[in-house]
Amino acid sequence: MTEKISRRDFLKISGIGLTSATVITGCGPSSRYVTRQAYANMPEYNQTGVSTYYATTCKECPAGCGLIVRTQEGRAIKVEGNPEHPVNKGKVCSRGLTTVQGVYNPDRITGPQKRTRGSRTTTAMEWQGAINTVAEELKNPQKTAFLLGLQSDHLYDLVREITEKGGFGKPVRYGTLGTLEGRSTLLRATQELYGFDQIPFFDMGNADVVFSFGAHFLETWLSPLAYSRGFRQLRKQPFGKRGYIVSFEARQSLSSANADEWIPIKPGSEGQVALAIGKIAATKAGVPAPAIFAEVNLNEVSQISGISMEKLLQLGELFGSDNKAIALPGGSALTTRNGLDAAKAILALNVLVENMSQPGGVFPTFGENHTSDFAAVKALIAKMNAGEVDTLFIHGTNPVFELPASAGFQAALKKVKTVISFSTFEDETAIESDYVFPDHAALESFGYQRVLLGSDRETYSSIQPVVAPIHDTRATADVLLAAILATGGNLASDIQYTDEVDYLQKTITPLIEKAGSYSAGELPTFWSKWLQFGGWWKTTSELNSSEIEINLNQKLSFSAPQSAKVGETFHLVTFPTQMGDGSGANRPWLQETPDPMTTVTWNSWIEIHPKTAELLGIHDDDIVEVKSSTSDFSVEAIVYLYPAIRPDTVAIPFGQGHTALGRFAEGRGCNPAIVWSASVNQAGDLALSDTTVTIKPTGKRRPLARQESKEGVYGEH
Amino acid sequence: MTELLAKEAHDEKWGMVIDLDICSGCQACVTACSMENNIPFVGEDEMAYGRGMQWMRIRRYWEGEYPEVTPDYQPMLCQQCGSAPCEPVCPVFATLHSEVEKINLQVYNRCIGTRYCANNCPYHARTFNWFDYEIPAPMNSYLNPDVTVRRRGVMEKCTFCVQRIVKGRQQASAEGREIEDGDITPACAQACPTDAITFGNLSDPESRVSKMVRSDRAYKELENLGTEPRVTYLKGGKSYGG
Amino acid sequence: MAADVKPFIGSKASPHQESEAEELRKEHLMLDPMPRDEMNQMVMEAMTTTTRKWWAWVIGLGLAVAVLLFGAWGYMIATGMGVAGIRRPVFWGIFIVTFVFWIGISHAGTFVSAILRVFKAEFRRPFTRAAELMTTFGLAAGALYPLIHLGRVWVFYWMVPYPNARWLWPNFRSALVWDFLAITTYLLSSTIYLFLPLIPDMAMARDRSSGWRHFIYKLLALGWRGTEAEWFRLRKAISIFAYAIIPVMFSVHTIVSWDFAVSTVSGWQSSIFGPYFIIGAILSGVSAVVTILYILRSTMKNMDYFIRKEHFDALGKLILVFSMAWAYFFFNEYILSWYGGDAAVKQVLTLHATGPSAWVWYTMLICNVAIPWLFLWNKKVRRTPWLMFIITLLVNVGMYAERYTIIPLTLGHQRNPFDWGIYNPTIIEVSIALGTLCLFIFLYLIASRFIPLVPVWEVQEGQMSHTLRKVGKTEIPSVTELE
Repeated sequence: MTEKISRRDFLKISGIGLTSATVITGCGPSSRYVTRQAYANMPEYNQTGVSTYYATTCKECPAGCGLIVRTQEGRAIKVEGNPEHPVNKGKVCSRGLTTVQGVYNPDRITGPQKRTRGSRTTTAMEWQGAINTVAEELKNPQKTAFLLGLQSDHLYDLVREITEKGGFGKPVRYGTLGTLEGRSTLLRATQELYGFDQIPFFDMGNADVVFSFGAHFLETWLSPLAYSRGFRQLRKQPFGKRGYIVSFEARQSLSSANADEWIPIKPGSEGQVALAIGKIAATKAGVPAPAIFAEVNLNEVSQISGISMEKLLQLGELFGSDNKAIALPGGSALTTRNGLDAAKAILALNVLVENMSQPGGVFPTFGENHTSDFAAVKALIAKMNAGEVDTLFIHGTNPVFELPASAGFQAALKKVKTVISFSTFEDETAIESDYVFPDHAALESFGYQRVLLGSDRETYSSIQPVVAPIHDTRATADVLLAAILATGGNLASDIQYTDEVDYLQKTITPLIEKAGSYSAGELPTFWSKWLQFGGWWKTTSELNSSEIEINLNQKLSFSAPQSAKVGETFHLVTFPTQMGDGSGANRPWLQETPDPMTTVTWNSWIEIHPKTAELLGIHDDDIVEVKSSTSDFSVEAIVYLYPAIRPDTVAIPFGQGHTALGRFAEGRGCNPAIVWSASVNQAGDLALSDTTVTIKPTGKRRPLARQESKEGVYGEH
Repeated sequence: MTELLAKEAHDEKWGMVIDLDICSGCQACVTACSMENNIPFVGEDEMAYGRGMQWMRIRRYWEGEYPEVTPDYQPMLCQQCGSAPCEPVCPVFATLHSEVEKINLQVYNRCIGTRYCANNCPYHARTFNWFDYEIPAPMNSYLNPDVTVRRRGVMEKCTFCVQRIVKGRQQASAEGREIEDGDITPACAQACPTDAITFGNLSDPESRVSKMVRSDRAYKELENLGTEPRVTYLKGGKSYGG
Repeated sequence: MAADVKPFIGSKASPHQESEAEELRKEHLMLDPMPRDEMNQMVMEAMTTTTRKWWAWVIGLGLAVAVLLFGAWGYMIATGMGVAGIRRPVFWGIFIVTFVFWIGISHAGTFVSAILRVFKAEFRRPFTRAAELMTTFGLAAGALYPLIHLGRVWVFYWMVPYPNARWLWPNFRSALVWDFLAITTYLLSSTIYLFLPLIPDMAMARDRSSGWRHFIYKLLALGWRGTEAEWFRLRKAISIFAYAIIPVMFSVHTIVSWDFAVSTVSGWQSSIFGPYFIIGAILSGVSAVVTILYILRSTMKNMDYFIRKEHFDALGKLILVFSMAWAYFFFNEYILSWYGGDAAVKQVLTLHATGPSAWVWYTMLICNVAIPWLFLWNKKVRRTPWLMFIITLLVNVGMYAERYTIIPLTLGHQRNPFDWGIYNPTIIEVSIALGTLCLFIFLYLIASRFIPLVPVWEVQEGQMSHTLRKVGKTEIPSVTELE
């Protein structure tokens, strides 16, 4: 048999077989290292021609959906949902499905490299050299900063432990998906109004009436698959009952498209609309309006939001009727200058209809949330500019691409002596780095994700490699631990983990004592079940009814929402697509999967209402210059005449416009972050929905690659 | 065992029900189908020229005028017609009904590429391999070994994930039982975040699909052409209950 | 450019009666006999004269065929069908349009030759051969397309019914298999039908040539000696074939129309397509005969003797009739679909006239209806060869536009507007289409130097049966029944 297989292939095959094999059986930490054995000893479940399935966790967004990955002959074939997993219950979104195209992407960084900043010239390094470099940089805790992404909680937890014990500054954790949905604002509002420390779980599936203030619950909001399931449940209630959804936002998103009513309100007026609805609902329910709602002037709200008085009353009465109602605070309401108060107003609606901790209502969730707000990023940039950062470690985020250009990150980066990126791809930030020490890709790595948002029970989702790494990459946690060991000193004695798996096992050990869906006597058994089931979670739902006392006797103050001059400046709505935070742009199948609303592929576009376009003399597929009205930054975007958007608003999807990130991503579309305003709201979140822009035709044209027939759908020739 | 197989074969008639009331139009089925069935991506220019290879497409029309405008989604895939217009026109029997699954299959080996079937498909469910589409190494590593990689010049289309049907049947047969409702799920139904797609055996009157087909919301696309589609849609949204 | 024969009036004065007879002779080839040997010489001369210009054309066209047709086709085979502009939902484009066009052209020979022969239309005699050659070469060019348009042409023979390792016959329910069989039958029978009347002319050429030509003609003449028995049998065979090929001709284009008519495509599914296509094919074929006669007359030696104004006149009348018939079917299709009320069909037909490619539809109507109706009723126009050349060329442009409307423009606008698609032909497709045109002309040019383009014996036979007889003071033409 071996005659036909070269020694190299032979080792590769058996190596791959055994890594995966040990992953599923998991007989203790040592067994995860590849031991080379005869091909004939391959475990029975790894036969040639027979698929093996591994449970792991999706790393495409922070939701932490459980995956089952089909592998065959050591290759990851297909990503499927983990039916047991409490977050997604066997479902996967487009992003998760294309994970394999990230793993096997031809543009991955294949090994550690030293780079010349701003160029694509690289020098290959050995991992020992890489570890020494990291070790050297770790020696100066005061001047070293960590910038991490939203994914892989285990790495964040480890880095937090390192920074706490080693005297580093607190790691900054930032991601566009969090920014677009105003996570920090939502968290602050929850803390201040509800008095608990987590982003709540919105049980929309059991509600009768859902008022969504710009929540993209079918696309990327908090935990899209969990809320998609909620959407189904809402529509398919027992005895043929069908929940009613009203969505308030300036641009019709996929979620609004699936709502029963879409109310195109003026961007930034969501909070006041929520107050008005609260006031009317209270009257309808026959209770005295709490102070928070009492003083709102309905006429004024009607005027600034653009909702007719009649409609406002009708909606308020719908919300205040006997139905179980719930209000969802979405990104477009929160990422404005009034974001925090808007969030409180929307959350207060839930208190008004007494759905707190009731089925169809709002529940506290489990565990703490660690996301930095944009203010923290700004602080980091200020430190970098002040020369207080000598070394910047970047993992899991692409700040050069994701941050607003006016925040000045790229300029600040130049002041940092050493930038070390752990990116798996040559993204915009990696190009501006001195070193790239690539982490494993999603299906090659260990880890866990704490599920905070989409689960009805306490859940930790485990990440395990389903295939052997195909390139000379190394887990960032391992690199850091090895570097700390090499540094020696106090830090090395404080951080007593031999490697990433050791860290994971020590971290999950407390879970053994907790009653979960499976039990294990000791760590090795627990570890193997942890990997086999794709994590650990409680057996039953923990959304128990409880009484929470919330005081609505406070007042909110709203400044006038950002205004746009008719026909001159336009509100800019940035909405997430299947590209997520932009890292999906290098997946050809994500590019080729049409956008649900426009059916556009392989590009991005600017949505303009046909009437506005007519006024401006703009046609479909024209290229226009979109310029921020507060700064000099501008982008060029292709026009899509979108019938479901306010005439005073334009919208650009997030995720395209890459100048790096590989052949599939580069040079398509535009990056709206360039024109975002960099101001923050009261909660420190980026007030990106306050961005206004001017539109100017460039005289160029480029037809968008759409699936729809323009002629057939819009009657254009 | 052969007896068992024969019996099951006799009983199979696969069908699908798509509930448009909960189909959100999110396109996860499209991606899932493409990843499962080794569908090549064609790039921007080819997509713009209507040469996308998606076996499943979501048709989106707009209903109403601003501000009451709303998209109307309908996932469109091969309807696995009982009386398929594509079948009689193929000169080389490359598209034909499978006796066991009672679905419409494309035999890539036989196809000579007349594209007549695609013209004759009122659902435009068929896609043609205009070129040999390259999936650059190592990306080809994820290709599904159960599904043929098609070369240029042949027609292709949704197979109801026939590889999964066969696996499910083999599994059931190995366990000495009959296929149960829900044993077999095509990639689109498996991924669908709102579970709008249900797949099952139409010859079993108690299967979920058979029950749903009897719903008063059920309709079949272009039924008046006499194609006897095996995909049933349940009216949704504004036409709910009607 | 040999111009028209000068009008008799205005030349030397002669007695009235004599001038009338002379006029009749000028007018009618059949009444203007020439010694047999002289006529044979004329034809031989036309056949053996190869000018530099001719060589330039042949070489140029040969190169064009190699590059435009085979080069582009080879490139397409190597790269994929994608280099053509077809796309979803327009899976058939210029290839099938041109295919139907050539099959239409190929109706010329059979119609002119067989039908006119059966009905003993005497004006047919000098150009039956030219028309039959068009049939064969038009079919040769058209028959390439079922191969060209295949995604995997290297396995085209899977359409042929023969016992094979695949244990599979072709699908006899498929219109494409009928097509394949019909075209093969038509090609075969029209080649035989071309060959039969050629035998006496081959013998004539054999007796007047030497060298390799002699050798070839000797083979092709099949030892023809011109005995009464041979003539008897030849006439019998031609007569049988003339009758037999007419149903084949009707069936071929009916079957081609069934490629469309038996489908579910709205706008194709129509029972009128069979006769509609046949009439269209005859219209385009007869027009092409006129076009080619004009070219022959103006480029080949001695042809102005054989091809006269009377022939343009007669063919012009035929074109006018067929243009009217075509318009009838066109109108019929519209009125029936209007009455049927199928929304999808209505939409397709409306879009033909109002869509982005409406100019194609208008081109079709102008060229096929307006121009023939406006001009061809006029005898002067019909008798002006260069005008007839332009009109017939335009009719064929119109017929091409008709096929273009029926195929890609209909396919692009089916029942679901979301899936509509606009078809843009690519340079490769146009190149292949032009390539087959070059092939057709190339074959014709080659043939013109090998085969007597005028069936000498048929003309002579005609002239023998026609005489001017003096009745009283006037001379009137009289015809003898030969067969």
